[in-house]
Amino acid sequence: MHYVFQFNVVWDNWRILTDGAVATVEMSVAAFALGLAVAMLCAWLRGFRSFAVRGVVRCYVEIVRNTPLLVQLFIIYFSLPGLGVRMEAEDAAVLGLGLNFGGYATEILRSGVEAVPYSQIEAATALGLSRLRIFRHVILNPAIRICYPAMASQFILILLSSSIVSAISADELTSEVNTLQSTTFRPFEFYFAATAIYLALALAFRFGLDGLFWLAFERGRPRLGQGRSRRRPA
Amino acid sequence: MNRRHLIATGGLAGAVSLAALPTASAQSQGATTLDKILKEKVVRISCDVSSPPFGVIGSDGKPDGVEVETCKQLARDMGVELDLVQVVSTQRLPSLLAGRSDITLSSISITFDRAKAVSFCNPTGALAIVVFGPKATQIAAPADMAGKRIGITRATLEEATVPKIAPPGTKIVWFDDISATIQSVLAGQVDAIAMTEFAMRSVIDRNPRAGLEQKLLVTRAFYAPVVRHGDVELRQWINTWGFLNRQNGVLGAIYEKYTGIKLPELPVI
Repeated sequence: MHYVFQFNVVWDNWRILTDGAVATVEMSVAAFALGLAVAMLCAWLRGFRSFAVRGVVRCYVEIVRNTPLLVQLFIIYFSLPGLGVRMEAEDAAVLGLGLNFGGYATEILRSGVEAVPYSQIEAATALGLSRLRIFRHVILNPAIRICYPAMASQFILILLSSSIVSAISADELTSEVNTLQSTTFRPFEFYFAATAIYLALALAFRFGLDGLFWLAFERGRPRLGQGRSRRRPA
Repeated sequence: MNRRHLIATGGLAGAVSLAALPTASAQSQGATTLDKILKEKVVRISCDVSSPPFGVIGSDGKPDGVEVETCKQLARDMGVELDLVQVVSTQRLPSLLAGRSDITLSSISITFDRAKAVSFCNPTGALAIVVFGPKATQIAAPADMAGKRIGITRATLEEATVPKIAPPGTKIVWFDDISATIQSVLAGQVDAIAMTEFAMRSVIDRNPRAGLEQKLLVTRAFYAPVVRHGDVELRQWINTWGFLNRQNGVLGAIYEKYTGIKLPELPVI
C-alpha cells in the first residue's frame, strides 16, 4: 500500500490545533473542579445519619459508574432540552465529564478517609490535640496523601476521555482534528498529530502533578529503608 | 494429543509460517487489490449505516438501504463474499485509506478535494443537499442563516457546500454522525440542519410532531464508489459492473426501491 505522508498540512493548521488543545485542557480542568466539588459534597453527605441522604449519594455513584459516559453526555445534551433544560454543547460536556468524575472521586475520597486508622484519632485525642488539629493533621493530610495519586490519574483520564465530547458538537482537540481531517483528507497526519498532542499533554500533566505531590508530601521525608527508619529500635 | 505433541506441532507450524513469510510478501507486492479479493473470495466494503436511505439498520437489526443493497449486488456479481465494514461518515474515506476495506461504497459525492485523496469510479446515483428545520425557523434564502445555528455532519457533502453559501454570522454546529445531527434539531439544540433530501424525508416522516419542513435546496450532486489511488484494475472492474447494472436496470431498481424516485441519467467520469 502506498501512502505519502504530507505533514505540511498539519503545520498550516497549527493554530487550530493549539486552540483545540487549549479547549481540551480548559474543559478538563473545569470538569475536574466540578467533580471534586461534587465528591466533597457527597463525602460530607455520606456522614449523615439519614438513610435517604446516604441512599441518594449511593444511587448517584452507582448510576454514574455503571453507565457509559457517552450515554450520559447524550442524556444531558439531547434529552434534557425535552424537560426545558438547554445548554451549550461545551457546558453540557463539562457537566457530563464533571458529574462522571464526581462519581469516581467520591469513592476515592472515601477510600482515603477510611484508610486512616481510628486508633490514630484516639491517640491524637489522648495527646490532647484539638478537634481541628486532629482533622487537619491526623485525618486530612494522610487522606489527601492517599487520594492524590488516584485523583491525578483520574485527571489524565478526564483529559483523554474529553475526546468523545465531539459527539455532542462540543469544540475541543478531537473535534478540531476531525473537521481538519475530513476537509483536507489527510486523516493519518492529523490523527498522528492528535496522538502526539494528547501524549504530550498527558505526560506533562503527569510529571507536573507528580512533582506537586513530591513538593507537598515527600520533600524532606526520610525514604523508606534509609536513615532513621533503618535503625533497629533499642 | 499430549502436551509435548501440541508444543511440537505448534513449533512446526510456526517454523513453516516463518519460512512461508518471504514468499507471501513477495507475492503480495505483485498482486493487485482485485487479485487479492478474488483469491480470498471476500470483498471488504466501507459503508455508513447511519445515513438514511443509503445505509440504515433495518427493523431486523441488519444493515439495509440503497448503498448496502448495492454493496451486496457488487459482491454477488463479483462472485465473492461481502464483508461490510460499518463506519460513521467521517470514517468512510479513512477506513479505505487505512486498508480496512478495499472499496468505499457509501454515497460519496464527487468533489475536487476528495478526488485528491481517492479515485472515483463512475457514479451510481444522485442526491440533493437541503437545509430543513422546524416551521418556526425563518430561512427563505441563504442570507437568512445569519445568526442561526445550523447543524452539519462532518465529512459529508453538506460540510463541503453549506458553509460556502452561509453568510458571516452563521453558527455552524458540527456533529460526527448523522443520527446526532438529527437529534440536535429534534431536541431544539439547533435552528436547522443540513443533509440529503432523502434523509430529510425520512426524518420528517418518522417525526411528524416535530413540524419540520425544507428551507433551502443547497446543491444537487452525483455520488460514486471510491477506491485507493493506484487500484486501477479494481476501479475498472467496478466501472464495468456499473455499466452492466445500469444497462440491465438493477441499479435503477435498487435506487427506486429505497428513495421512491426514478434514478436520473448517470454521466460517467
